[in-house]
Amino acid sequence: MKIKKLLIANRGEIAVRVIRACREQGIATVAVFSDADREALHVLMADEAYPIGAAPAVESYLAIDRLVATARRAGADAVHPGYGFLAENARFAEACAEAGLTFVGPPPAAIRAMGDKTAARKIARDLKVPMVPGTLEPIGSDDEARTRAREIGFPVMLKAAMGGGGKGMRLVRQEAELAGALRAARSEAGAAFGDTAVYLERAVSEPRHVEIQVLADGHGTIVHLGERECSIQRRHQKLVEESPSPVVDAPLRARMGEAACRVARAAGYVNAGTVEFLLDADRNFYFLEMNTRLQVEHPVTEMVTGIDLVREQLRIAAGEPLGYAQQDVRWRGWAIECRINAEDPFSGWIPSPGTITGLRGATGPWVRDDSGAYEGYTVPRWYDTLVAKLIVWADDRPAAVERMLRALAEYTVVGVRTTIPALQRIVGHPDFRAGRLSTAFLERVLPELRANDGRFATLATIAAVLAEHERARRGEAPAGDAEPPSRWRLAARPGWTAS
Amino acid sequence: MKYVATLGGEPTVVEVTGGAEGHYRLTLGDEVWEVDARLGEHGIASLLVGGASHVASVVDRDGTCVVQVGGETYEILVEEQTRWIIRTRGGAAGAGRAQTLTAPLPGKITHVAVRPGDAVRAGDTLVVIEAMKMENEFKAAAAGTVAEVRVQPGQAVNPGDVLIVIE
Repeated sequence: MKIKKLLIANRGEIAVRVIRACREQGIATVAVFSDADREALHVLMADEAYPIGAAPAVESYLAIDRLVATARRAGADAVHPGYGFLAENARFAEACAEAGLTFVGPPPAAIRAMGDKTAARKIARDLKVPMVPGTLEPIGSDDEARTRAREIGFPVMLKAAMGGGGKGMRLVRQEAELAGALRAARSEAGAAFGDTAVYLERAVSEPRHVEIQVLADGHGTIVHLGERECSIQRRHQKLVEESPSPVVDAPLRARMGEAACRVARAAGYVNAGTVEFLLDADRNFYFLEMNTRLQVEHPVTEMVTGIDLVREQLRIAAGEPLGYAQQDVRWRGWAIECRINAEDPFSGWIPSPGTITGLRGATGPWVRDDSGAYEGYTVPRWYDTLVAKLIVWADDRPAAVERMLRALAEYTVVGVRTTIPALQRIVGHPDFRAGRLSTAFLERVLPELRANDGRFATLATIAAVLAEHERARRGEAPAGDAEPPSRWRLAARPGWTAS
Repeated sequence: MKYVATLGGEPTVVEVTGGAEGHYRLTLGDEVWEVDARLGEHGIASLLVGGASHVASVVDRDGTCVVQVGGETYEILVEEQTRWIIRTRGGAAGAGRAQTLTAPLPGKITHVAVRPGDAVRAGDTLVVIEAMKMENEFKAAAAGTVAEVRVQPGQAVNPGDVLIVIE
């Protein structure tokens, strides 16, 4: 059944991404928004938009009944969950099916099988896919955690059983840290996923995070689209991703891809999914978990394979066969993605919500800006901090690194602090340029990460004094970012219409 | 017009003259700079200095200019010279040894790790604030004794709210 009208049960840049794919295929789009998101870009871009509740996600983007009722009222025939929120919630997928809506994602059983990370580990064990040692059941009491952690051996990783996106995840170096880490991980897991269950894994030292993208249609075809390396993380949240990985060659790609497809097949998987692995210093890979959704970092795979993953998701959900096999998948060049978050990288990555008073994105050859923002847009404090994803493509990795540095230098965001200055230092770092990556990279370079090295001190002083001078001359109050008036009221001229 | 720009604790006297059609002359110490400046209403400034083209963004944050230029971020306090003289001549402000932890962002207190009378060391966790779906830990900057705890778990806080005082 062809999809004619699709409701996007999400917000921000991913909702915009899905709207774009729909528009290219003649599918009408229905946006939903919380009270905090009336002026969000996805609302402005969709064909229709409906309010679904208050700003806290539990009252809006996580409210299954309201989303399903809105989809039915709008006459949608399908629902795309994006990532985060309800993307890996089997009950939501079931509720959509019960309402006669096509869920653009895997069957509820596959979400359940893989969504429970401990159950997923059992599947991987049965398939003899290599795994990091750890618990196959969620841990109960603090005492049990202590006992199991001792058996596994410190350092250990605490992970949310229903988790993803780094939330509810803690590295525990020694036993003394265990109780505090348990409390924090459970609290975060409960808030993010509505389930406080956590499990333990041995922490592999300085591993690389390498994941395989798979696509499975409803007719038994499963292909992999190669790997993404996502080793640059802070607080277990990815910041820079690339495809291919600097250390994965064709034979290793084939082996990891085969393992990923095997896991997907065993789970009865259909649609786009990602199998995450750790890669140790000797390039041994270990199954971590399967994410039963579109990943934030999917664009790097799109750039090197030429395959539009959202379009494929929609085709698969409509029952179409993939129409190609593994040997038809070709990789070309190198793609890198940087996450532009509203955070202050020089103050512990503290969230920096507020109004974007000035914005100039990056464009030019082989640069892609997947953004949910525009000039005058206010980044709400209620949701995650991702504002935009900047993706570049080039023939090879050195050229992609230079292109990313060029694009980051062009990208100007005024009014909220962003990760851009930190991204410039990360991508320009000699270890990054050399492809010497690990999940410990960022922790290691953080002490070197300074707001400035003084090169532009005079210029900055001139700019600051002139800004102050002009302001004093005009007799204005400083136009700060504490409580700026909405640009809607000032100008009602969102910058996105111009590009 | 004379200003004092303080960057990293170092004050510099800056005199600004001109300004017709954006052409300014700035005197920093004994250096003179001719600058063609266009200050956009959105905080993005174009500066032509001796033919070199620079784009800087300038934002006010709690009275301090945050300038981003060339991928670097500078926090610069700019004051009229007279105001600077009045402020610095007093010299009493900030002399106390007390550490006051104020909320740097809006959020909800999820955990308070200390009680009045507790001895803390630098780096000890004091409170945890949940904001934008992340738990943010705030730690003691130096050793001391907790004098006041003004918040409790579950409480919503706004930027600038005093959370904990350490002596």
